[in-house]
Amino acid sequence: MMNKMHGIIFSYLSNPDLRELTQNRNTCSIPYGGRYRVIDFMLSNMVNAGISDVGLIVHANYQSLLDHVGSGKDWDLSRKHGGLRILPPFSYSGKREGLYRGRMDALAGIRSYLQNIRQDYVVLAGGDLAVSLPLRDIFEAHIRNDADITAVCTGHPKGDPKGCDYFTIGAGGRITDVSVHPPVAQGCESLEVYILSKELLLSLVDHCAAHNIHSFSIGVLQAMVGQLKILPYVFDGYAARLQSVAGYFARSMELLDPTVRGQLFVPDRPVRTKDRSDPSTYYGPDSRSFNSLVADGCVIEGEVENSILFRGVRVEKGAKVSGCVLMQGTTIQAGAVLKYAITDKNVRVNPGRMLMGHSTYPLAIAKNEIV
Amino acid sequence: MLLAGGQGSRLHALTSHVAKPAVPFGGKYRIIDFPLSNCINSGIDTVGVLTQYRPMELNAYIGNGEPWDLDRSYGGVHILPPYMREGEKGTWYKGTANAIYQNINFLDTYNPDYVLILSGDHVYKMDYADLLRRHKEAKAACTISVLEVPMAEAPRFGIMNVDENDDIYEFEEKPKKPKSNLASMGIYIFTWKKLREYLIADEEDEKSANDFGKNIIPAMLDAGEKMTAYRFKGYWKDVGTIDSLWDANMDMLSPDNGIDLYDSEWPIYARTPTKPPHFMGKDAKVVHAMVTGGCEVYGTVENSVLFHSVIVEEGAVVRYSILMPGTVVKAGAVVEYSIVAENSVIGERARVGASPDGSEDWGVAVVAQNLTVGPDAVVSPKAMITRNVKGGGVK
Repeated sequence: MMNKMHGIIFSYLSNPDLRELTQNRNTCSIPYGGRYRVIDFMLSNMVNAGISDVGLIVHANYQSLLDHVGSGKDWDLSRKHGGLRILPPFSYSGKREGLYRGRMDALAGIRSYLQNIRQDYVVLAGGDLAVSLPLRDIFEAHIRNDADITAVCTGHPKGDPKGCDYFTIGAGGRITDVSVHPPVAQGCESLEVYILSKELLLSLVDHCAAHNIHSFSIGVLQAMVGQLKILPYVFDGYAARLQSVAGYFARSMELLDPTVRGQLFVPDRPVRTKDRSDPSTYYGPDSRSFNSLVADGCVIEGEVENSILFRGVRVEKGAKVSGCVLMQGTTIQAGAVLKYAITDKNVRVNPGRMLMGHSTYPLAIAKNEIV
Repeated sequence: MLLAGGQGSRLHALTSHVAKPAVPFGGKYRIIDFPLSNCINSGIDTVGVLTQYRPMELNAYIGNGEPWDLDRSYGGVHILPPYMREGEKGTWYKGTANAIYQNINFLDTYNPDYVLILSGDHVYKMDYADLLRRHKEAKAACTISVLEVPMAEAPRFGIMNVDENDDIYEFEEKPKKPKSNLASMGIYIFTWKKLREYLIADEEDEKSANDFGKNIIPAMLDAGEKMTAYRFKGYWKDVGTIDSLWDANMDMLSPDNGIDLYDSEWPIYARTPTKPPHFMGKDAKVVHAMVTGGCEVYGTVENSVLFHSVIVEEGAVVRYSILMPGTVVKAGAVVEYSIVAENSVIGERARVGASPDGSEDWGVAVVAQNLTVGPDAVVSPKAMITRNVKGGGVK
């Protein structure tokens, strides 16, 4: 069972609704959950399922992602054979121009890489989804049910329908219809994680390339529900897709709920990330902090409530932080007050400043800005 | 060459499973992280770690040296246990000097100009490059790092008596009437060719204890070798006893303690498991404390150091204590002036340790690893708990 799957992560995804948060990075390397990048979750899912070879398809704006994953050693993916492979555009067939028009287009771009995959099965997944998936169980179900494609979905839709796919599950338990980006949610929301054989994948890539089909959802799932045995795997644990600034904020605040954390941080399936060697977090004599998720390396001398603090954040004396997401290296100087704000990496808020957003419209401050 | 074979018997229950250098320290670290990080920060990339007592966890911890950037194709970190040799019986490391003697082959492989001898049970930040500069400038055979200690405490240390150039003319081990207050820190740089000669000579002397402080240093002084002192200024602590280990952990909480763990110019590296950020519950009250990834705090924590994955339940109180990875303090329990080792559980409403408030003859209570202190149980100050403690019954 081990090592029969190969992982492909679509790591080029970018969503303009994430505004400031994707100014210097694509969606997959957005910091999330106090110390992670979103892609850590899918990478960890794969590694925790025994997958040893993972390809990351990248296209534009991927410096931050490369910086983060490095050689892959923090995920035990720095290997002599296989391990982590970064798959940039133009490295295989040279005729492509502009951004990938869809997943099949991206896969066609790495056709020769796919040809050389050592495993019999492939997991396709987006790098923009924070979820702890039992990929091993999903793979077992795929084999047991003799599916052509297993598509992971959830009965608890959370995404913005305009950016999601929905499955209709028929009487026989098969997916009988696929709605792509409908105006309202209907049925099970796709998590866009698929398992299929390498052989089928290659024939689909060739078929789509020959027919100028770019979308996996439309060109494969929707078009072939009649021909292929496409089975759903309904996963009801927590899954967060980051689609907009307000959505990012809401998905972050949900982490303060212990049930959500229990589903995202499963002890058997640790979420791995880049190691930074931070010391523990220090709470000063006059600090107050509650209902917050705080990473290592912070120094907190002011007040923090209902917030998510990434590594190396400083909250100075008299500063008050409430309902905020403060990313790595943020400094809130003495007496400043922040409410419903998202500060990107290394933001500095000078003494006494007051910044206030709203829970439905949080204020986002871009990387390295000084307020 | 990092001497990490000490048993650490004065740490009692804390070293029943691990060697002293592998004892957790400062929320995120093991003691050995300090000398190892000092090495790489000082530009030393070839390090031998001499292990002997309970080496399994220490060896696993050091591994290929990757957390300290000591995974190299040339040099890097080498674990050096005692070993059997052909035609003769192998022996344990008889003393600090013998440990180096037994690894002469290792040193010859690299054939260094200078050898730095370190101890695996000191907490400090030091630029060994500066020590080496002093050694070279003085054209010494041996340079010993010394710390100015209060004169009253000098009788507890090995004391170096120096001339106006800080050259050492006499070494006194724990003198009753010290002539100076320059205490040896157990950190030496030797010119390798010289040290090699003295190690071989020392090994031939059957009466020798094969110890740097007792034998090698005095022998070199007697022979008139140039020995010089390097005055270290800054935080340094030998954490060889329960009290000093507790003290040193408490020191880490004070921003002006002399060691800034948050200083990115001189980071201390560690091998740590990936844990999610820690969570502060709605009623958590945490002041003057260090808290690490994977912790969940719902009660009160003051003046304490929490390692990763510690849980402090509702109504529980932790004061002036060190909770090592994975410990659980159940609801309503009170832990004060204590060290609780890995994965031990303090039951509901139990009371562990206490004292101060002016009291003089008190001590830190220690609960060894993987133990359970039952609900309502009472563990007195200074107690050393090495077995499960039954519950105290409902009061």
